[in-house]
Amino acid sequence: MNGGQRKFYLTLEGLAKLKKEHGELTNEKRSQAVERLSRAREFGDLMENSEYFAARDDLMFLDDRIAELENILKKTTIIKQPRQNGVIQLGSMVVIEIDGEINEFSIVGTLEVNPAEKKISNESPIGQALLGKSVGNTVEVKTPIVSYSCKILEVK
Amino acid sequence: MDGIREFRIDKNGLSQNEKIILDKLISAARLIAPIYLEQRNSRFPGANFYPHDASIKEITEAAKKNPAILDPFTVVERSKSNGLVAIPYHLKYKKRLEPVANLLLETAKLSKDRTFTRYLRSRAHSLLEGDYQKSEILWLETETFKFGFVIGPIERYLDKLFFKKCAYQAWVGLIDKKRTQAAENLKRLILESRKRIIPETAKVNVSKVGVRVDRTVIFSGLIADFMFTGANLPNDVDLMEKYGSELTIFETSLALKFKEQQLPVFKAVFEKDFQKSYGQKLLYEASLNCILLHELTHSLIRYRDAEYRLGDLFPVIDELYAYILGIKSLGPLLLKGAITQEELEAVLVMHICRNFTWWIDSLSNPDVSHYAKGAAIALNFFLREGAIKEKRGISWPNFAKIFICVDELCSVLEYFLALGKYGETMKFVDKYSHFDVFERFYPSFKKSSCLLK
Repeated sequence: MNGGQRKFYLTLEGLAKLKKEHGELTNEKRSQAVERLSRAREFGDLMENSEYFAARDDLMFLDDRIAELENILKKTTIIKQPRQNGVIQLGSMVVIEIDGEINEFSIVGTLEVNPAEKKISNESPIGQALLGKSVGNTVEVKTPIVSYSCKILEVK
Repeated sequence: MDGIREFRIDKNGLSQNEKIILDKLISAARLIAPIYLEQRNSRFPGANFYPHDASIKEITEAAKKNPAILDPFTVVERSKSNGLVAIPYHLKYKKRLEPVANLLLETAKLSKDRTFTRYLRSRAHSLLEGDYQKSEILWLETETFKFGFVIGPIERYLDKLFFKKCAYQAWVGLIDKKRTQAAENLKRLILESRKRIIPETAKVNVSKVGVRVDRTVIFSGLIADFMFTGANLPNDVDLMEKYGSELTIFETSLALKFKEQQLPVFKAVFEKDFQKSYGQKLLYEASLNCILLHELTHSLIRYRDAEYRLGDLFPVIDELYAYILGIKSLGPLLLKGAITQEELEAVLVMHICRNFTWWIDSLSNPDVSHYAKGAAIALNFFLREGAIKEKRGISWPNFAKIFICVDELCSVLEYFLALGKYGETMKFVDKYSHFDVFERFYPSFKKSSCLLK
């Protein structure tokens, strides 16, 4: 997918976290990094000055992250509370059966993915297969190595 | 010394008190090796647990009158009247166990962690009194404490007659917090789905599963011979069900086996073009995940009566199923985006490599033959289905077919563990556990001097 056209989906909570991070980076951490770089320059002989290179790399890394956050915040769509109509949408909590095992998870945007907290990406194989389907449907989820039939038991 | 493996690790993060504790634990572990060496004897299927002239029939008959004969913690000897008597370990090895217990009690006085202190004291008493249950429960409570420490009669792999008698071992390790957290995350992913239970089986439901990854300092006793890369304790299914289980991954042992065996096997077994697709770091992480998955799934597949029904076949089926089910559990994780396809492929590749390493180990250590048999079963299954093809090396495995084989094997093995009888299990093992697939690679392994000595 073209990075320039890419959309991002966030919950209100996720958006608040990213805005907070952006604020901390732009207001506080960047100015600290710039100050560190300028102090490192004072050690002289930039070719041999490892502290200068470390400070420069840190500032670059910080600027990259700020740019990334600003890009995300510009292109974010807020995930609304899913409609309780039994159809799977972004933000839905689903209960499915895969290969005899009951799995429960919510479908979120890629930025908030955390499988250990049962948050699965809408772009994962199973996320893509489930969106738009309803309770009672059985969907085939295929990857080059594995394929499973998944029965949708519940949508919350 | 025979029966001991010690490893160098960085002790810089330890306080002075912790360094003293570590040294005492290491000393206690070293003292276990001579007891193990008294038990070990690969010339006899019953090792030194039973008189060498006692038949299975005689032992079984004697056990009917005296159940202590087949107790896990007794040595069977001939009485003056030529019958069989059972001597509890704590009496048989009393002189050797007393200094071990004293070291544990000294260490308990130094420890500032109350849970660890209670465990050490209890374990000292267990060694001298022969009742291990209380200290095993306390060990489960130590969870992610800085030191991983287990000592006593634990595993039954030396007893090839009845798979009953436990051999002494000990390990000491320091927790790797970062890797432990990663293992904890994988554990949650695997265990969060609720597994269907085959009806009318005596399945054990383990109440909770802890996990830790340790940098090992010392292996002593059986574990020094077997060089396990992971352990899942306790083995008592009643304790597991009530109090849970704790997995320990031995990172040091794993790193050594990866470097000395698994990577050379990878290079010897797979064609060169295929090898280029998988970097060393990816393969190492896959190897670690293989063992973590194996130990995790051990907690999911306990059937109370499986050992009784399957006898000496139990360790073959049990260990193989743990490996295979662990791999199978990654399928849904791939669907969820929790692992990538490359990571799953690497796990399948390392599983194949590990199968070969078990065979190589069994050539010099017949006590791991049950692992080698399980490994042969898996590879022969893959070969039968065309999931792997062998002609001067395994070319690109068909990963999709391997996964189908994994699924099929899971069904078969779970049936044997849950309900299977000895005869039908034996037929299956006889059919698939031949070592032809390994022997075909013997010339390649011979070229690699670190694999076959």
